[in-house]
Amino acid sequence: MTEHELNGLFQPKGIAVIGASNNPLKAGCIIINNMIKGKFPGKLYPVNQSEENVAGLNTYARLSDIDDVVELVVLITPASAIYSIMDDLDERMASKNDVRFIVCAAADYAETKTEEGIKRQERLMQAKDKYGIRIIGPNCIGVIDTVSRVNTTFVDTGVSEDRFGPPGGISFISQSGSVAASILAWGASKVIGIRYNKFISVGNMADIDFIDLLEFLEQDPSTKVIGIYMEGYQNGKQLIKVMGRIARKKPIIILKVGRSSKGSVAANSHTSSMSGSDKVYDAAFRQYGILRVEDLWELLDTLQAFDKMRLPDGNRLFVLTQAGGPGIYCSDEISKYDFIETPMVSENTKNQLKETMPRMAAICVPEGYADITASATIRQHCDSLRYVLMDPSVDGVCFITVVTPFLPSAQLGKELSDTYWSLDEKYRKPVYFCIMAGEAVIPCRRELEQTGLVTFDSPTEAVKAAKNMIIYNMKREKETQTGQ
Amino acid sequence: MMSTFVLDEVEAGNLLSSYGIPMAKTVICESFNELDAIARDVTFPVVMKILSPDILHKTDAGAVILGISSLDGMSKAYQTILMNVTTNCPEALIKGVIVQEMQSKGLELIFGVNRDAQFGHVLLFGIGGIYVEILNAVSMRLAPLTRLDALEMIRETPLGKVFQGARGARYNEEEVIQVLLNLSRLVQEHPEIIEIDINPFLVYEHGKTGCGVDALILCEKD
Repeated sequence: MTEHELNGLFQPKGIAVIGASNNPLKAGCIIINNMIKGKFPGKLYPVNQSEENVAGLNTYARLSDIDDVVELVVLITPASAIYSIMDDLDERMASKNDVRFIVCAAADYAETKTEEGIKRQERLMQAKDKYGIRIIGPNCIGVIDTVSRVNTTFVDTGVSEDRFGPPGGISFISQSGSVAASILAWGASKVIGIRYNKFISVGNMADIDFIDLLEFLEQDPSTKVIGIYMEGYQNGKQLIKVMGRIARKKPIIILKVGRSSKGSVAANSHTSSMSGSDKVYDAAFRQYGILRVEDLWELLDTLQAFDKMRLPDGNRLFVLTQAGGPGIYCSDEISKYDFIETPMVSENTKNQLKETMPRMAAICVPEGYADITASATIRQHCDSLRYVLMDPSVDGVCFITVVTPFLPSAQLGKELSDTYWSLDEKYRKPVYFCIMAGEAVIPCRRELEQTGLVTFDSPTEAVKAAKNMIIYNMKREKETQTGQ
Repeated sequence: MMSTFVLDEVEAGNLLSSYGIPMAKTVICESFNELDAIARDVTFPVVMKILSPDILHKTDAGAVILGISSLDGMSKAYQTILMNVTTNCPEALIKGVIVQEMQSKGLELIFGVNRDAQFGHVLLFGIGGIYVEILNAVSMRLAPLTRLDALEMIRETPLGKVFQGARGARYNEEEVIQVLLNLSRLVQEHPEIIEIDINPFLVYEHGKTGCGVDALILCEKD
């Protein structure tokens, strides 16, 4: 397979940051710092006309002054400077002809719909027309690749490097820069911060758009699951087809806003009055196996579930709880999705549970549900999880525990994860861990997550992630069965 | 502005029938003298209504009469409808009076197509009848449909459970699948179609074939 053109965007030889700055209140300062903090191994060239060095790096007054190879140019100067920057680029291309990509983070281009804004964007786009340079933005926060350590964003998540996990398989594309920044910040603030594999804020999509990036992520070996925040796209049908093709290989989770907008054309028939544009998107997503989520939390939780867990083999979800209330709450959440089934575990499994759990434990009353009670020890937590996972009727488990003062939180997490990972591979089915609640149980959740398990804030989040995994699996199975 | 035209009930019915979508038997009566022959051709009871591109709300114009069971009743209905239309819609172009066999009570469905600006033809299915928008129990898919898409459309609405036999129901799901696939084929072959509404489409239990009662098709004029 030939290398995808956009590979170069994420692995550039030399990055010039036009508008780099030492002023910590400027985006051009955060970009440089992010790149240094992220240990970008390549060359970094701050371009700035007034400062001699930025963050200890030599600065250049102009792009055309840089002797070495520059493949990626990041623009973070006010949009009004675009004309002189593009003249500078022309000069560089005439002598060096090395720039392949521009990330234009600055706003105040065509999105303002003003004559001047459109003119600026046109000038920027000449780089593509003249030199074939591919452009991200304008009006975006840039791109991140945690594999190659490129980070052109100016988002400071406030989370220290050691609180992040290793680079995962989640890649994300956002149409809004602000939502992108929030997704980064929320992801960073998880129990173990999410390190997105590739992260792209597309802004105005003057050149590189959803389809280009999806096709790149489709063949990117380290991307396992794709998240999207979308407002709209001019060619919905083509986009859906590309997404549908990719979704057969890699799950696509989308948060699309605009549900409230009414259909644009006056309705003649019942059919047209009931098929406004967002509803059509909704139908198309279902048809092509693209998972649409309701909110940012479901988005992040679902992305993590797909990244870390294997797909369930079926739709039978067991509720294993150490407390009645949260267990019933979890069952209620599950009952919202009529395609989730109750596993009927074997007599053998029931007996194993009855013999080893506290006397008060309610085992499979009702079916598919076990309450091991608040007196359960760490050992009993671990044993019950093992027995349930080993039962052939179980495809996944919602595991809920409310950490009581007599359960050492971190110890519980450690032993649960030891139990899980010591199981035969075939029994390592999806487990949606709800360790409740709040700050007190972070040590337990951290232990679990460090070994690659996923924890959730409450049964609501756990069940949403579980149902999304089940929907995806059912869709793929149906397609395989019918050949459609 | 795109220019459009509407197929009347009879034209729409014929087009749908030719694509294997069963429609209620409908005959146009263009003059009083034809009533006698029509009466011998149809099964009573029948409904009669005005055929006019200018009258959208036929009931309001007094242009629909239900439950006619004899030639005598047909003659009276014919005159009443024309009189009401002359009074209420004097400007309307009149193409005739339709005689349609009345259908026994069945489960009311809606089948529809809308040509979306971005996505092209979108098919719609769900609970039909006069409260279709209020109930809003419909599902949609982009054309062309696969058999799996059609099945998912049914299962996605509350009707899914009915077709799977809730409360001992014995409706034929296959009939619905075929209508959806035929509609999909129709719009694939006729990109000029902008909208189709078949509402209600009646289905029955125990193997009785269902049929569309009312249909509207809007097309783009080239």
